[in-house]
Amino acid sequence: MWTNRRESLTSSPPNNRLEIKRVSVAFGRNLALDDVSFVIEASERVAVIGTSGAGKSTLFRAITRDIGVSGEVRLGGKEIHSLSKRGLREARGLIGRIHQSYNLVPQLPAGVNAALGDVGEMGKTRTLRTFLIGPEAALAKRVEAAMERVGLAGMSATKTANLSGGQQQRVAVARLLVQKPGLILADEPFAAVDPVTTERVLDALLELNGGGASLLVSLHDVELAKRFPRVVALKEGRVAYDGSPESLSKEKLNDIYDGDMETNPKESDEPDEPTGPDVTRLKGQDGISAH
Amino acid sequence: MASPPTEYDGQKSIGGAVPRFSWGSSLAILIILGLAGWSYYGTQFDILDLLTNTEPASRFVSEMFPPDFSLATLQATGQGVLETFHMSFLGALIGAIVAFPLAALGTRNIETVGASRSEKIVRAVPYHAARFVLNVFRSVPDILWALVFVVALGLGPFPGTLALAVHSAGVLGKLYSETLEAVPSRPVEALASTGADGFQSFLFGMLPQGMSNFTSLTLYQWECNIRSATILGFVGAGGIGQQILISMNLFDYPKVATLVGATVIVVLVVDRFSASVRKRITD
Repeated sequence: MWTNRRESLTSSPPNNRLEIKRVSVAFGRNLALDDVSFVIEASERVAVIGTSGAGKSTLFRAITRDIGVSGEVRLGGKEIHSLSKRGLREARGLIGRIHQSYNLVPQLPAGVNAALGDVGEMGKTRTLRTFLIGPEAALAKRVEAAMERVGLAGMSATKTANLSGGQQQRVAVARLLVQKPGLILADEPFAAVDPVTTERVLDALLELNGGGASLLVSLHDVELAKRFPRVVALKEGRVAYDGSPESLSKEKLNDIYDGDMETNPKESDEPDEPTGPDVTRLKGQDGISAH
Repeated sequence: MASPPTEYDGQKSIGGAVPRFSWGSSLAILIILGLAGWSYYGTQFDILDLLTNTEPASRFVSEMFPPDFSLATLQATGQGVLETFHMSFLGALIGAIVAFPLAALGTRNIETVGASRSEKIVRAVPYHAARFVLNVFRSVPDILWALVFVVALGLGPFPGTLALAVHSAGVLGKLYSETLEAVPSRPVEALASTGADGFQSFLFGMLPQGMSNFTSLTLYQWECNIRSATILGFVGAGGIGQQILISMNLFDYPKVATLVGATVIVVLVVDRFSASVRKRITD
C-alpha cells in the first residue's frame, strides 16, 4: 500500500521516485516515445524541453497511464501500468497535474474545482456531500487558503468559466495546493498565461517542491527551462539530452530544435550561465532538492 | 534564369464552398433521386389532385365555422387541454428520471487503458444492457406503447402518460448518453489522472458539463410530448385527442374547430416557453 500522502510530504520518503525504463508509445505507425529512460529522484525538479510533437505530453500521459506503453513506469517502486484499478487510483492520487489548457470543469465554482484536488481521498459519502452541498469545513478551509495563496481570495464561489485564462490556471494550481501531491506533472503550464501569472504559478510549484514533491515541467521556453537544475530534452520521442542547464550548449539546442534555435524568440543570446534576475536559477542548485 | 510566370488557377487549387465533383457524391445524388422517384410512385403522390379536387376539404373546413364556444364545449376543451398538459409533463419528467441512470450506464467508459480483456467485457455488460433497453423504449413509437397500455390498463390518460414516459425515457436516454460522450474529455481525464474513480469523474466531470444540455433536451422532449399527447387520444389514451376523435365521429365540426384551435394555442405556448428557457440555459 502507498504511504499516506500528507505524511510523505513532511518526511519526503522515497515513494516520489519516478523511474521511466525503456518506455515506448506508438500511435499507429508513429512512434511518439522511443525507448525513453530516466529517473527523477524524490523532490527533484526537472524541465522537459523539445519541439512540438517531440513527445513531452505523451510522456506525461504515459506516466499517469492515460495511454498504454511498452516498458516500465515506476512511481515509488510500483509499476504504474501493472497496477490494479484500485492501485492505479492510489498511485494517481500521488500525482498532481497542471495543463496548458487548465482542464478545469468550467461549469463548477472555482472553489469546487480546487477542492477536487482532494478527490482521491474522498469516500462515497464525502464525494456526494461535496457534489450536493460543497466541501466540508476542513476541506473548505484548505481550499480558501489555497485560493488565497494564488491570489484568488474570495473567488471560490465564482463560476470557473467566468474567470480569465490566467485565473483559471491559478485555480488549477490551487487544486494542486489542496492535493499536495508527491509528484507534479506540469504540461506547458505557462504557455497561455501572462508573465505575472507565470511567476505566481512557478512560486506555488516551487512551494510544493519545497514540501517534498518532485516536479516535472514541460516547457517551450528554453530560458525558463534553464532555471531548473536539470533539463531533459526530447527529440522525435527519444531523450536527446539529460543533464544540467550549464552543459546544454547552443549546438546541442540547435540539434534538439532542428536548427530553429537561431530564430527561437524564447532563446536569448545570453551566455549559458545565468546572469540577470530573469534567469535567476531556481533555489536548490544541487539539482536534487530545494531544501 | 527565371521560369516564365504561370497563371494562377485559384478555381482548381482551392475550389469553392460546394464540394467538388466526385464519383462518390454523384452516385449519392443519383441514389437520392432514385429513391425520391420510387417513393413518388409508391405513395401515388399527386399534387394536381390536391389542387383541383378542393371541394371535400373546403366543405369540411367551412362546416367547422363558426367554432363552438358554448360553455359545455369550452369546459370540455379546458379539461382536454389540462389532461394533455398533465400527460405530457409527467411523461417527460418520468422519462427523464428513468433515462438518467440508463444513460449513465449506457455511456462509453473513457478509461480502459491497462484493463484486462475480462475487465473490459465486465465493464461492457451494463453498457450494452442499458443501450438495449433504451433502444427498445425508443424504437417502439409512443402510439404503439399507448395501444399496449390501453389494452393492459383500459382507456384514459394514465396509459397515455405511461406511453409517453416510456418513449421519452428511450429518446432522452439516448440523447443524454450522447451528450455525456460528447462533453470535453480533458477535464474528465484530468480528474481521473489525479485519482478520481469512475463515479467521481462522472459526478464532477461529465455531469456538470452535460447538465445544461440535459435540461434543454428534457424541455424539448416535453414539447414533443405535448404534440404526441394530442395524437394518443385517438387510441383512447386520454387527452384532447380523445375529445377530437369523439367530436369527429359525431360530425360535430364546430366543436372540432374549438378543440383543434385550443391544441394549437397550447402547443405554441409550450413551444415558446420551452424555447426561451432553453435559450437562457444554453447561452
